[in-house]
Amino acid sequence: MTKTTTKEIGTLILALIGVGIVGYLVMQTLGGQGHAAFNTTNLGVHWGLPIVVYDYFLLTSTGLAMIAALAILFGSETFRPIVKRAAWLALAGLAGGVVVLMLELGHPLRALVAIPTSFAFESPLYWKAMTIGVYVLALLILIARMLKADWDAKALRGHAILILVLAMFITAAAGVVYGSNSFRPFWASGDIPVAFIFESLLGGLAFIYFFTYLAYAFDAEAMPEGVKRLFNGALPGLFALAIFVHLLFVLARMVNGLYGNVEGLQVWQHMVTSPLFLAEIFIGLLLPLILMLLAGTRTRPWAQALAALLVMNALLISRYEYIIGGQLVPMFKGTWAPDLLSYMPSTTEWLLLLLAILVSNAINAFGELTLRLGRER
Amino acid sequence: MAKWGMVIDLDKCTGCQACTTACTMENNRLPGENWQDVLFYTEGTYPNVSMKWFPRPCMHCEHPSCVSVCPTKATYKDPNGGFVLVDWNKCIGCKYCQVACPYGVRFYMDERAVIQPDIRTVFPSNNDRLWDPPYKGPQDDPSRGIGIQPHGVVSKCTFCYHKVSKAPAGAVDLDEDIRELKEHVPACVRVCPPKARFFGDLDHPDSYVNKLIADKRGVRLKDETGNKPQVYYLSGGAAAAVPALRSMTDSDKS
Repeated sequence: MTKTTTKEIGTLILALIGVGIVGYLVMQTLGGQGHAAFNTTNLGVHWGLPIVVYDYFLLTSTGLAMIAALAILFGSETFRPIVKRAAWLALAGLAGGVVVLMLELGHPLRALVAIPTSFAFESPLYWKAMTIGVYVLALLILIARMLKADWDAKALRGHAILILVLAMFITAAAGVVYGSNSFRPFWASGDIPVAFIFESLLGGLAFIYFFTYLAYAFDAEAMPEGVKRLFNGALPGLFALAIFVHLLFVLARMVNGLYGNVEGLQVWQHMVTSPLFLAEIFIGLLLPLILMLLAGTRTRPWAQALAALLVMNALLISRYEYIIGGQLVPMFKGTWAPDLLSYMPSTTEWLLLLLAILVSNAINAFGELTLRLGRER
Repeated sequence: MAKWGMVIDLDKCTGCQACTTACTMENNRLPGENWQDVLFYTEGTYPNVSMKWFPRPCMHCEHPSCVSVCPTKATYKDPNGGFVLVDWNKCIGCKYCQVACPYGVRFYMDERAVIQPDIRTVFPSNNDRLWDPPYKGPQDDPSRGIGIQPHGVVSKCTFCYHKVSKAPAGAVDLDEDIRELKEHVPACVRVCPPKARFFGDLDHPDSYVNKLIADKRGVRLKDETGNKPQVYYLSGGAAAAVPALRSMTDSDKS
């Protein structure tokens, strides 16, 4: 047994123990209190941290799938070392998000039957859920087709186009779920689906960087030459560009929100002074951008891993602020809610975030152990 | 078929909450589950402060966004009468309808109780319903969101479907002063002491609700959303006006 394999088994066992412990705690609380264990209320914050976590993992998944598909289509041999890992991580991330969603829904099992049989074509959520089903299947088949070490990218082009289209559709549909609520100006915007697509691409890049380093226990010397070439070649520039585009979307929305008088946009005035938002912008996005732009740091493994970790956190904050922020203005609640609503996730909700992380990591570790991700050559 | 609608005269409404109480009792709602509510607002800053109120049932919109977004078609528009109802047998509790409703009239009551003691634990249910109140209305129709809801579903005002849908064929205005119709009048309309509420067929050109809307220039709440509520408000006098804003006071918007 190699050193790497031992580490992978260790990671898998640790993640599984974590899933067991956190899963038990969550089930105990939800079994006893039901959704009263959440801090969401009928006053307005209907979708709390569990939905934030679900959407965060979903968008990361589609970002990873888009990267895998684009790498197959345009990446030639240069991007080959990250394709299989990106595809597997896309599944692992999605699984973590879906587990949390299932625990958030009032009737999760009913949803599995009621959504496919409803033919609710008007609902963005219907299209999103149905497409996710096809997307998972397409990803599984893609991974199966890449099981041989000498898989041929040209033969997978059609498959990659399908996955790219599905991933973009799901991401855009997730954007429509929020962006179409015209009476919630904090959410409503025609560019939200596009912003979501860029955001998920950024998430995909950050996850690829971080989890590749994690696979080699942050030992850059242990990484294959192909991975090193990619990480020190085209990828830092792409990563920086993705951070910049996301930053642009966030800042554009912020400026619009601060200058706009429409009721609902005043959430921005509260948000821009919050430490969380400042941390997102300055530590989560600007610092990684600088790290990936400076010639002295962009190829340094510590800088890449750090930038990836910071961006992963910034995107979670971004998702949190967007989803919660859009619900902070109460809808006709009078003196029941005379001010902007306040929301702080409960312990159970935080545990759900932890559960999603652990589930994704367990599945990822399983893939690292059994699929030899990114080590074909 | 009729397209039932409500007219609320804000010049007459005294904010007494009789409608809220009647609705809660008629439909066995939980504390905080105000299918019908009279909302209070304070406006202005000291010393120029005024208190206003605004009655708010479900709008039973012509083009309801809650219906459009529902991924299981659990929320639907009944073509016979224009009621917007929830089929609790199909609802998955995703709460998208709550998020997509511009009027805040939907409730997910599995959440933390708004007051203590939690009445759900005082009168616990043993048949998967949220609670088992000592008095229950005779109606129980989960496919229309009538009765005590099961766990994990969203509930809302039904326009008292169980009463209105049994009105004699051809009835145009359901007025509590018409003896043979009073049992078919929605609870909030029937109990309104100053008679600020009217209920009738919006599709009938001679209905009293249409006359009121025309004579007193009835308006719909947040009409710009395109939801086209079937609840109209009359105002323009010295009393409360339809609030342009949703809920917060002026001072909160600075």
